[in-house]
Amino acid sequence: MILRTAAIAALLATPVLAEGAFSEGSKAKGWGVAGEEKALFTGKVVDILCELTGDCPADCGAGDRQMGIVRDADNVLVLASKNSQPAFTGAARELAPFCGQTVEVDGNLVGDTDLTPAKFYQIQTIRPLDAEAVVKANTWTKVWAQLNPEAKEVKGPWFRKDPKINALIAESGYLGLGLETDAEFIDEWFE
Amino acid sequence: MTISGEVIDTWCYFSGVMGPPDSVTGSAHHTCAMWCAAGGIPVGVLAEDGTVYMVMKWQDETGASGGGTILSVQSDSVTASGDLYERDGINYLVVADVVDNSGLVNQNHDDWGVVPPYAIPKSAKP
Repeated sequence: MILRTAAIAALLATPVLAEGAFSEGSKAKGWGVAGEEKALFTGKVVDILCELTGDCPADCGAGDRQMGIVRDADNVLVLASKNSQPAFTGAARELAPFCGQTVEVDGNLVGDTDLTPAKFYQIQTIRPLDAEAVVKANTWTKVWAQLNPEAKEVKGPWFRKDPKINALIAESGYLGLGLETDAEFIDEWFE
Repeated sequence: MTISGEVIDTWCYFSGVMGPPDSVTGSAHHTCAMWCAAGGIPVGVLAEDGTVYMVMKWQDETGASGGGTILSVQSDSVTASGDLYERDGINYLVVADVVDNSGLVNQNHDDWGVVPPYAIPKSAKP
């Protein structure tokens, strides 16, 4: 048996949810992940490389650089790690269109505080302060489909059909250890 | 500054969404790590002392598009040189050069299987 009983128990452990300093007024949906606290706050959208190094393209890298929000309340740089899609997708493409703007964001601060002194942001909505409507942070897969017109026609979620990922799997397997190791494992995994 | 460690998927590592930290590293989590890197989730380097360095740039690649070299080094054990910035509790790493890449050293799939279990589709079985 590859996946042992202790491992299964650990995988099924449910983190405890908590209210945080920025939870008031948040309409964020809970994801049930470690250290999760709803967080609604305002701040300036920044390209983190620019913020740290002074290398600052005008468009914040157009989604090619990791993004953050410098929170108005305390000047903390909050790293936006995740968008609102449950599909292995980040936040950079969601925030880049708001480069340099002051926005109100809603989402969850996330992170096991035994592992990290700072939490990361899972962003769900963005609203420029001069706008009334919020923008949902869920466009990543739509952009992927535009960038991969052939792959998008294949049935299944993006991560199963992304050409770059599939090329690496074809080369070194799902485990990354070569096709022979993969074949032996897969035989046992699906027994 | 030189950092040695395993290239990891930081969302799964810190959020616990797929399981405990040890289960979302190495060969057990290799496919998911590629998914997350390609999806633009920040990649990290997990050092032996448990410190995670958030990669903002990997040589010439800025990282958030996830499609280049940074995708091909997921789960590898590397030594990288570059600049380190600490801000508000997070260590940010700008990698200038990969001094060494030992490949995928953390072979933990016998302990954890694959995480998540659907990382390998049933269609992969001949």
